[in-house]
Amino acid sequence: MEYSLDMQDNAVIVRVDGRVDESTWEAFGAGLSDAVQQAGQSGLALVVIDLSELDYMSSRGLRVLTVAKRQADESAISISLASPNDVMREILAISRYDKLFTITDTIELKH
Amino acid sequence: MLVRFWGTRGSLPVAPTAETIRRKIVNALVSANGRQFGNEADARTFVEQELSFASGASYGGATPCVEIEAGPSYFICDMGSGLRSFGLDSLKRNAAGHSKTYNFFQSHLHWDHIMGFPFFAPAFDPDATIRIHAGHPDAEQAFRRQQEEISFPVPFEWLRADIEFVQLTPGETHEVDDMQVETILQHHSHGSYGYRFTDGNGRTVIYSTDSEHKLEKMAVEAAFIRFFREADLVICDTMYSLADSVSMKEDWGHSSNLVAVDLCHQASAKCLALFHHEPTYEDEDIQRMHEESIRYEELTRNGPPLDVICAYDGLEVRL
Repeated sequence: MEYSLDMQDNAVIVRVDGRVDESTWEAFGAGLSDAVQQAGQSGLALVVIDLSELDYMSSRGLRVLTVAKRQADESAISISLASPNDVMREILAISRYDKLFTITDTIELKH
Repeated sequence: MLVRFWGTRGSLPVAPTAETIRRKIVNALVSANGRQFGNEADARTFVEQELSFASGASYGGATPCVEIEAGPSYFICDMGSGLRSFGLDSLKRNAAGHSKTYNFFQSHLHWDHIMGFPFFAPAFDPDATIRIHAGHPDAEQAFRRQQEEISFPVPFEWLRADIEFVQLTPGETHEVDDMQVETILQHHSHGSYGYRFTDGNGRTVIYSTDSEHKLEKMAVEAAFIRFFREADLVICDTMYSLADSVSMKEDWGHSSNLVAVDLCHQASAKCLALFHHEPTYEDEDIQRMHEESIRYEELTRNGPPLDVICAYDGLEVRL
């Protein structure tokens, strides 16, 4: 799993490549925390997680999303999930995480 | 080793309403589409092979009670309302010569997991031996209290069986009538304990219910992966969706189907039984959860496939 952070307009974009599972969830979590911190320090209100290159995310990854969301909520920052592939769409539905997060087909920088 | 489920529902026993039964019959008749069945066997074949489990059967509504048949004495996990049926069935087996020694293993002492004991008929048999194994030092207090007069008309003191409370220690292997038994502390109100049973043939079954895997403690899930390692069957609390378990149902002490699948994948377990079903779920809801769990296993599989089954009252699994 690799990730990168990018500041754009009014959002921090987190691009995730590979898969988030039992061996990579901690690094993913660290990356999300970093993104939320950067958004807060820059006065940005949105973090968008670009899932277009993500193969899948296990429950560890999903739960790390929740940890990041709680951190973001404390600073009134929103987190949205963008461009999930078909596998991730199924996982988000099966986990009911599509009820917890805004999911968009493309990266949308307005919230 | 044979695992027999006598109660698979969490929190509260439930029973289908008249409308629920009518709806199943109506759906079955519509599915039959005018076909006629000459005898019960043909009709049963139709029900078992052409109707979904939710349509043609039921997951049941008794609270947790799971029997492990692997030796001369009885091994039972938890004493939910399903214990009553087990107790009556065991009387028939005792009459045929079965040993009257009952080894119970309590996950914890909440009401839904002990409520069957006041109705456990063998407890009145002076020739029966009942050993209640628990990680809790206050197990006896919980059992005696539920039979105090304010709650139940038959006091604990009237039970004639030889009843013994045995405290088990996490991290140690205990030998109970040729079964190796290990226990692990789980996160639940007042604590709960999971069990690992290994028989003389090396068959292993895990009983892990009422165990919440907290967001803040993901790093310690390695202990559960070790505990579940290469088990033939893992019976796991899968009461809530993952989203519910981290939001409105957080700190309710239960787990989700996705976490159970992931732990079993990591542990190289062979079969996962979804268990401790939410009492508000209808059969269709449990069936949907089962189908989704199977699909999630397929999507995230990174090794040998994990067989995902859904426990129901009356299910028997031979290992």
